[in-house]
Amino acid sequence: MTFAHGLASRMSLVAARHARCAAAAALALAVAAPTLLSAQDAEPDRLARLDISSKYAIQLLIDSANTEGLPSRALRSKAYEGIAKKADGRQIVAAVRRELIALRVARTQLGDVDDDELMAAAAVIEAGAKPAQLSTFRPRVKNRSDLQAFTIWASLIWRGVPTEDASSAISKLWQDGADDATFVSLWNNVQSDILRGLNPGTALQNRIREAPGRAPPSKGPPPEGQQEREGSK
Amino acid sequence: MSEPKVAIVTLTTALLVAIPSESRLAAQIVSKLEAGQYTVTDGALPLSSIRFAPTFEWYRPYTKVTAHGSALLSDQQLQLADGIVSGTFTSPTVYGVRAEMLGNASRALDDRSLGTDQVDVQTRVHVLFHDLGGMWFGGGVARPWRVAVVSSADVADAGIWTKVGDVANRFGVATFTTTFTNFSFSKIAALHDTLSAALSCSTEAPVTNVVGMVASQQAISLATTTNDACDRQSRFSDLETSVRWEAGPIEFAGKIGHRFGDAYDVTPDSRRWSSASATMWVSDRVAFIAGGGRQPALPLRGLPARSFGMAGLELAYSPVSKGAVPVSLPHTILVRSFETRPAANGMEKLVIRVGGVESVEVMGDFSDWSPLTLTRRGRDLWELALPLAAGVHSFNVRVDGGPWAPPPGVPTMRDGFNGEVGLVVITREKGGH
Repeated sequence: MTFAHGLASRMSLVAARHARCAAAAALALAVAAPTLLSAQDAEPDRLARLDISSKYAIQLLIDSANTEGLPSRALRSKAYEGIAKKADGRQIVAAVRRELIALRVARTQLGDVDDDELMAAAAVIEAGAKPAQLSTFRPRVKNRSDLQAFTIWASLIWRGVPTEDASSAISKLWQDGADDATFVSLWNNVQSDILRGLNPGTALQNRIREAPGRAPPSKGPPPEGQQEREGSK
Repeated sequence: MSEPKVAIVTLTTALLVAIPSESRLAAQIVSKLEAGQYTVTDGALPLSSIRFAPTFEWYRPYTKVTAHGSALLSDQQLQLADGIVSGTFTSPTVYGVRAEMLGNASRALDDRSLGTDQVDVQTRVHVLFHDLGGMWFGGGVARPWRVAVVSSADVADAGIWTKVGDVANRFGVATFTTTFTNFSFSKIAALHDTLSAALSCSTEAPVTNVVGMVASQQAISLATTTNDACDRQSRFSDLETSVRWEAGPIEFAGKIGHRFGDAYDVTPDSRRWSSASATMWVSDRVAFIAGGGRQPALPLRGLPARSFGMAGLELAYSPVSKGAVPVSLPHTILVRSFETRPAANGMEKLVIRVGGVESVEVMGDFSDWSPLTLTRRGRDLWELALPLAAGVHSFNVRVDGGPWAPPPGVPTMRDGFNGEVGLVVITREKGGH
């Protein structure tokens, strides 16, 4: 009886301990559930359309970006784009990986800049520019945005302008204080020349000479004849 | 009874009223205001009246529903003239083949009748040859009510079309269409149903009934008579060729047709017909139109042949139903311009110009790459207000559910998926690119 009584009491203690553990686990789950659910809500549903391995690979890349302080929304957006365009899972993973690498390079070259600038600079790297060519834009200029310069730069390279020529042209314009309208005008003119059949590099060289903000500093009144020609321009 | 001829001279104005539309609804309300002078030899229509004609359209890439009606206002009284509800369902185009189903329910008021109702359903199969042409064939049934000599009709049609030129070309684009439609209908009616039915079933000499159809001894021989009813089979076919030419702000449309059938089914004034119209757009929504011609008798609606003329001012653009004109494969080069403008409440307004399409969509990083549908605001003007944050945004555009492409006039770069995206920079101080 004593043994049975002791066994029964021991079992009741174990059961009570188990009950307390279960209650504690339930309480912990209740506390953690909102966090887990919110994390799940933050998990984009559209990534679920990918195969498991692709989804896992992309999630790892996104986590890496978050760890490094890089804008993960750029990676997520690239994945959504691939899904919307019905790309293969492996192709989407490769595109997201390229985006992450470009963001890292841009961060290394530009330093601590906002996400928009970082993503625009990453587009330039993805287009094919060399990392060191971004160094021109490292010094920050107050009240001046380089987004348009980066956009035009990336597009010029994509249109076939040699990377060195594009880098040189954009950098020179930036250093000369060209505004957004100047960069847009340059792109429009080069684009129209390319559509007419001109070599992209040649088109850029021709148009960069016409871009405002490129005139050398004046050292005195020019001769009369030359003054007339400049006025007619 | 002599065939009455109605000469209609109208001054047409139209007002396009666009309701705010959700990206998923894509609905528009189009209303028309017409001021017209009608001249009739007999009948109940007033000599002068103002006509209101509202139209509602709801469309998605493969579905379209249209409701249209008109009412006459004369002497401060509103009188219903006609109304129609149409539904069109199309399948995706696979290897250039597309299926289509059309359904209509309508009522028409004529100056010599209490109004005729009709329900018709038709299916078609379209075969498309890229963007250059196509052909279709189909069939259906129509069931009219209160039409004296028609109780039901079988319709079979086929057509072929081709397109020459391009909208971007200085000479524009011309579309040629030829259709062949066969109508087979029967009339089952009691001898004492209507006077016209009695005449149709009589054994007297050939007479012309209310819609101009001659019941001859030959026709009677085809009829089956019973003690108190008769039925008769009638058949005729229409061959019609039309051309539509668009060059910049000028549009021209013309058609000629011929009706084949026996003399007791087709009256002389419905053997041949022709019509033409010209439209000149002076702005996105304002156009001068003029035209005239002749319309054959419509036995399914109990309407006689008519001559008409019109001249007017139009302040709207009404998209043409897919079921009424040849369908074509989507062509993204039709997008003529793309622009962003600052709008109210910190939004950016997206403005795209593309003509000859029925839907325009955009997608980009701003929408998490989900397609957003633009709203038509004019003849070739499409708009959408977006909450675009400052920064660089990627854009893709497509028309009529076709392939995605970068918009024109903006820098582009590869998207990493064997395609391109357009890049637009939105600044904080002012919008635009």
